[in-house]
Amino acid sequence: MNSVNFFEVLKRASSGPIVSEKEFNILVFKKLKEVVKEYDIKFDGETPVPFDDSLADDVFKAALDFYADVGTYCMDTERIIKFTEDEIKEGLKNAPHKAFFGEGKEAKTFIPRKPESKETPWCHVGAGIAVSSEEIHSKLVEGYASIPEADSISVPALAFIEGVSIREPPIEFYGALKMLASAKEALRRAGRPGLPILNLVSTAASQIAGIAASAAQFGLTSSNGWLVPTYPELKIGNNELCKIAYLLSWGANIGAEYSPLIGGYSGGPEGTAVVFVANCIQGILVLKSTYQLAWITNVIDRCSTTKDAIWALAVSGQAISRNISFPVIQFHYQAAGPATKMLLYEVAAGMIEIVASGQAIETAHPARAVEIDYVTPLEMKFSVEIAHAAAGMKRTMANEIVKELLEKYENNIKNAPKGKKYQECFDLKTGKPTEEYLRIYNEVKKELKDIGIPFE
Amino acid sequence: MSSKEEILNKVVLDLFSYDVDGIRVDVEKALEKGFSPLEVINALSNGMREIGDKFARLELFLTDLMMAGDTMKAALEILLPKIPKDKAVSKGKIVIGTVKGDIHEIGKNIVSAMLTASGFEVYDLGKDVPASRFLEEAEKFKANIIGASALMTTTIPALKDLIEYVKAKGLRNKYKIIVGGGPVTKEYAEEIGADAYAENAVEAVKTIKNLIEK
Repeated sequence: MNSVNFFEVLKRASSGPIVSEKEFNILVFKKLKEVVKEYDIKFDGETPVPFDDSLADDVFKAALDFYADVGTYCMDTERIIKFTEDEIKEGLKNAPHKAFFGEGKEAKTFIPRKPESKETPWCHVGAGIAVSSEEIHSKLVEGYASIPEADSISVPALAFIEGVSIREPPIEFYGALKMLASAKEALRRAGRPGLPILNLVSTAASQIAGIAASAAQFGLTSSNGWLVPTYPELKIGNNELCKIAYLLSWGANIGAEYSPLIGGYSGGPEGTAVVFVANCIQGILVLKSTYQLAWITNVIDRCSTTKDAIWALAVSGQAISRNISFPVIQFHYQAAGPATKMLLYEVAAGMIEIVASGQAIETAHPARAVEIDYVTPLEMKFSVEIAHAAAGMKRTMANEIVKELLEKYENNIKNAPKGKKYQECFDLKTGKPTEEYLRIYNEVKKELKDIGIPFE
Repeated sequence: MSSKEEILNKVVLDLFSYDVDGIRVDVEKALEKGFSPLEVINALSNGMREIGDKFARLELFLTDLMMAGDTMKAALEILLPKIPKDKAVSKGKIVIGTVKGDIHEIGKNIVSAMLTASGFEVYDLGKDVPASRFLEEAEKFKANIIGASALMTTTIPALKDLIEYVKAKGLRNKYKIIVGGGPVTKEYAEEIGADAYAENAVEAVKTIKNLIEK
């Protein structure tokens, strides 16, 4: 049997069952409650990194049942795109089980891992959702690309162009071109012009500007990666479907992007873990992705390093890596900002959880990824060092270390220190960190070595 | 517990189990037993406050808030027409929406549900709302407050557009405008001349209460 192709997805988007968006939200909530109960999935605060394979497999089975029941909602046609259980299984079997990125000496294959795998994870470096000013944009990208272990780059979105706020079309189109030129120049300066960018097209939040900036004359090749967003939970719109059709037509890598919310329509951490896996299935069946980029946010604390978010990301990561061989990059929003110990504790907990659970990493997203310029290459380097050190770590050990780290920062999440801007903790001329930030970084690394993180 | 008290408890239980049909029947029974509409509304408001507090602790979730809000609305449809006009129970009227170009609305939905839970009359305009519609609906709804949210850096400028639009129509002094959303900051809110900013839904409710009392 063949998998359901994209044209068939489009047909279902315009012929599937009709429901209102509100009815779909309630359907998601109720069905998740049912499968969480049926499979007896329970959040355990004492085990932020679970090591029970049957829990991971139950979350996967629950997600299969749930997605077959619920499907994906098309917000523009107000219809559900549905698949049978056989179509889902066939789609997962025929999914691309590896992704190819980059050019020249940077050409690499992204191969999925398993929990506790000794293979070093794919390291996607940057914080694409964070925005930066023109002044530091190129410095940031050069700093990211100078990290030798970087397998791909996430280019920050620009906040301004010539002092004007970048906004929805048409201005963001010019912002996107400026961002691409700045990033390409930075990659050349770092000596890695072929390093793939996997968050295209940042700065162009609308799909139309993203498509326009991807035209061949602006220098992008299909060996990069384009993110297509979906909306919580399991929703997509015609603009996104249009972008997928465009990318599929020239063989570009499609990255399904999703961000389930604890406290939102998926309920608590258990339902959110199940819906995360359902989003992965959706990314394969609906978005025809070759890779995925995803995270979980706690809606009250607005970050991903709370105990419940770490647990939900870990268990869903394990469910996917044990049951679907597919390239998925996970990351966290940290509450604290650069040049604080708290940020580095949060980063360490998140990276260890992701790597031990068998997924690939994207590096730090400081200060909840909302403050302009509160991002530097040093916490990215730190993320990669932790991710490499955690390769091969048993989940039982990861759990103990993450618990210890949570004790160091958990009580400060609500009033986390914002930290310092790039301009305050990096030298603008040399692109090097200040002595103060380096001291903090070295102190935390020593503490982490003492609690058992095996740095090289 | 007397049978009179039991029926009021039943009304509150209907609220907690999101039983829209049940609450319609039980509200009528409570009125028949001699409770005044205001007494029933007070009991329901306490229930909604508890639901809001549980959400803030993530013991309940957004969908619970929304379903409880719908159940409360069904009860109010029966109760409000029975209250004399001089005894208003609304804490204030607010139109709320996500700005033009932005289709992220969960944060706004949470604020909307929390405001409803706190006794405000909320008219939710949804997502991708142009500045002109915010104002038109605020005028029609006779609102006190306009609440707008943006989740993307590329849609934040639409918050400024909204304030400038209301100003250009000569109605800036008529409405308090509160802004929020992931990348919006207090500094930005001040820069564009918003009356208030809230970092999250719990803060939004407190801030709006303060704005109304001013």
